[in-house]
Amino acid sequence: MEQTDNFLDDFHWLMDVLQNIDVGLVVLDENYTIQLWNSFMQNHSASRPEAILGCNLFDTFPELPEDWFTRKAQSVFMLKNAAFTTWEQRPYLFKFENYRPVTGIAEFMYQNSTIIPLKNTRGEVKHICIIVYDVTEVAVNRLQIKKANEKLRHISRTDGLTGLLNRKTWEYDATKEFKCFERNPFKCSLIMFDIDHFKKINDGYGHPAGDEVIRQTAKTVLEQIREIDIAGRYGGEEFCIIMRNTDSDGASIVAERIRKAIEALDVCYEQHKIKFTISLGIADLTKNEKNLTQFIDNADKALYKAKQSGRNNTVIFQAS
Amino acid sequence: MNAILNLSEDHRDCLQEVTNVAMGQAGDRLARLLDTFVVLSIPHIQVMAPADVAMALQSVDSDQTVSGVCQGFIGGGIAGEAMLLFNDTSFEDLAKLMNYDSKLDSQAEIELLMDTTNILFGACLKGIAEQIDMEFSFGPPMVLGQHQPVSKMFKLDEVKWDHALVTEISYTLENYNVQCDLLLIMTEKSIDLLLKKIDYLLG
Repeated sequence: MEQTDNFLDDFHWLMDVLQNIDVGLVVLDENYTIQLWNSFMQNHSASRPEAILGCNLFDTFPELPEDWFTRKAQSVFMLKNAAFTTWEQRPYLFKFENYRPVTGIAEFMYQNSTIIPLKNTRGEVKHICIIVYDVTEVAVNRLQIKKANEKLRHISRTDGLTGLLNRKTWEYDATKEFKCFERNPFKCSLIMFDIDHFKKINDGYGHPAGDEVIRQTAKTVLEQIREIDIAGRYGGEEFCIIMRNTDSDGASIVAERIRKAIEALDVCYEQHKIKFTISLGIADLTKNEKNLTQFIDNADKALYKAKQSGRNNTVIFQAS
Repeated sequence: MNAILNLSEDHRDCLQEVTNVAMGQAGDRLARLLDTFVVLSIPHIQVMAPADVAMALQSVDSDQTVSGVCQGFIGGGIAGEAMLLFNDTSFEDLAKLMNYDSKLDSQAEIELLMDTTNILFGACLKGIAEQIDMEFSFGPPMVLGQHQPVSKMFKLDEVKWDHALVTEISYTLENYNVQCDLLLIMTEKSIDLLLKKIDYLLG
């Protein structure tokens, strides 16, 4: 009698541990009928054990993909090995609220889970247990770091004023393009342009006005080019665009479009309405260019010609 | 002198035999689960320094890109890690093998890698554990890298161990273009205990 009492006593506190441990425990039989549903699961799912025990897992939780889960579970039954799922593969098995509904920023509880085989007295595996761990804190931290890194990457690649690529990144991307061309030539051209008499704008209306002019110019460029083109701010008021799969004739159409759009643009700054123009030079990438600098130099020469011939126009580089 | 550096021929043979038997059992279990015949190489056992492991890995695959997964295990004073390297040509076959019918994006590939590792590795280590009368706990598998040269996947110059017991096994699955290499790496601290278990088997 005393032995039975002791056993019941031990059993009782053991059950208490299983009930109150702060991880989810679910026991399933071979038909995926729920046999155990501990407090963690009860509290987070807001369902009493009476409503859950004896029910089929997939009927009760239709959001749990049956094929996916049975494939995992099958290997546990057969190999008598644990199987794992992590929040990175699948954010959760059971959609529960975040444990911190007030200060937490996650929409739901991220979960890692382990599915373990449970042996019966004959050493057979007729039941499996899902252990559900709340890993929301870790997941949220990891996701935030990832986001911060993406933001830092963006900041380090772009020019703060215009959002175009900064010079270093543009040169890096342009060099890659140049190397691809060397290996396997394709149509490619470069537009270099700058704002006419930019110094006068700065002197006449102040530097903040000049900044606004540069910002609007960049915006106009982005509106006129395709996503595949590589546009960057090369210097103060100088811009450069690599036109992919486009020769200088094609590029000149785009160049003219940008030029006319800028000519028609009114930049409003305080009470001023600022009008300005740009001059553009275009060069084709050919086998004659030994490096990126020569390619840029050719476009720059064409730009110089455009300046000399009265500004507000486009000139294509001609090899002499 | 460290036990690990004095691994006798007898010990090595016995370990190789234990692993061999375990692999046989694993092959049988896998064949039943995956419904295909699994060809396993004879396990190759060696005590290695990190630099040797790097060399062994490079000989596995020098210029091809691979995907790698590792999984830790521990129990009764024996601990280690398994690394599984998949050659990169075989993802579609791997999906077929695992009955994986969703679209094969990089997320699905990760899951496939982790599941396959867990199954292959679990099957093998379970066999070893049974023979030396132990039970191990397993950590979740971690993807080391996808479609990378082997040299980029491990930072073996930064690790904090000097020597480890390395078992190398290669798997090929019949009728599928799936080929992978398993490295079972046990820490130096585990060796004494492992050898005691082996002595018991030898005696």
